[in-house]
Amino acid sequence: MNKAFAEIDPVYFEYAQKYLGRFMPITPEELIDLLQYCEIRKFGKREILVHQGEVDNYLNLVVKGLVRKYLPVKKNNVILQLATEGHVVQSEISYLTKTPSMVILETLEPTILVSLTYDKMEEALDRFPKGERLGLMILSGMFIKKDENRYNRLAKSTRERFFDYIDHHQHMLQRVPQKYLASYLQIKPETFSRLKALLAKREK
Amino acid sequence: MLEYIRQFISQHIELTEEEFQLLASKLHPVSFDKKTKLVDIGEVATTVYFVLKGISRRYFFRGKQEVITHLVKEGGLMGSIISFLTGEPSRYILETIEPVTALAISKADLEELFSSDKKWEKFGRKIITAFFLQTEYRNLDNIRYSTRERFINFMKQNPDLILRVPQKYLASYLEIQPETFSRLKHLMVKER
Repeated sequence: MNKAFAEIDPVYFEYAQKYLGRFMPITPEELIDLLQYCEIRKFGKREILVHQGEVDNYLNLVVKGLVRKYLPVKKNNVILQLATEGHVVQSEISYLTKTPSMVILETLEPTILVSLTYDKMEEALDRFPKGERLGLMILSGMFIKKDENRYNRLAKSTRERFFDYIDHHQHMLQRVPQKYLASYLQIKPETFSRLKALLAKREK
Repeated sequence: MLEYIRQFISQHIELTEEEFQLLASKLHPVSFDKKTKLVDIGEVATTVYFVLKGISRRYFFRGKQEVITHLVKEGGLMGSIISFLTGEPSRYILETIEPVTALAISKADLEELFSSDKKWEKFGRKIITAFFLQTEYRNLDNIRYSTRERFINFMKQNPDLILRVPQKYLASYLEIQPETFSRLKHLMVKER
């Protein structure tokens, strides 16, 4: 067993395998190879990972904690993503084009990330036998997800968006201030409170 | 015709003449009348098209209302791309607005190309990355710009579309109420 693997917490390993396994079957040996290209990064609560105007070098898989991604607009911060264990988070445009980030990434809880720089990613995809196929699948997955978010925003009512999200992310009501969830779902805070009251009724 | 696609590809990846010819051998010229439905909701999309001339829209229905999510003209790739990638039924309708001439490639041919050499998978990734970036820029622009700013930016970047695409389609695409769209258009004319 190689050294890097011995250092990797099995929990991180499992998240990485689950994430990549969505795209293609990955053996433990292949995963060890791929993880050689990654770094493990640890952050406290309320730390900024990427400032506005800074180039984001990392693709991050959250293995512990919670990261919010937001876009400052006038006096508001519009939340674009709330990433928890098993999710990938980054300033995508900045990472893919190596340009200053428009969005800010901040931890809301102490957080551990498995991170991959753009150059290391290209290196890994190039060297790893199934790498280019994996890269194609990952980017397709990211694109499909973006399109789906857009479709849901345009096709679904506020109420549907609220219940869809809460049904799949019940724990987030405890982990994140309500105003963040309202911002993420693009629901007015008053409407959010009203829907939450409905939720309590529904569950009785 | 092939020069046009060569130019498009060179933005994403370098190909040798031999590689380019291999790709070209998989492309089939097609043409469609205006208002032709190429993919319907529930169908699986098995073809993508590189548009040489004309314009198309992609949309779905919210109740009885058409919601236009994409407009593609010359130099762009049209298709119900998500269905094409996932093999799942399309949520969108793909329909021409003007008559369209294009080069078509089937999913089977593309898969064959991908399997033949890693280089083609990388090429595929670069194209998908371009799609992804386009979607994300639009997403962020929708949040950070006002309706008025979105209207002005779009008209500056696509002055031809206001003549080629019905106003109600443009309004839907920009997520602007039709009445607001008319008002902004009048304002723009006045300011000139």
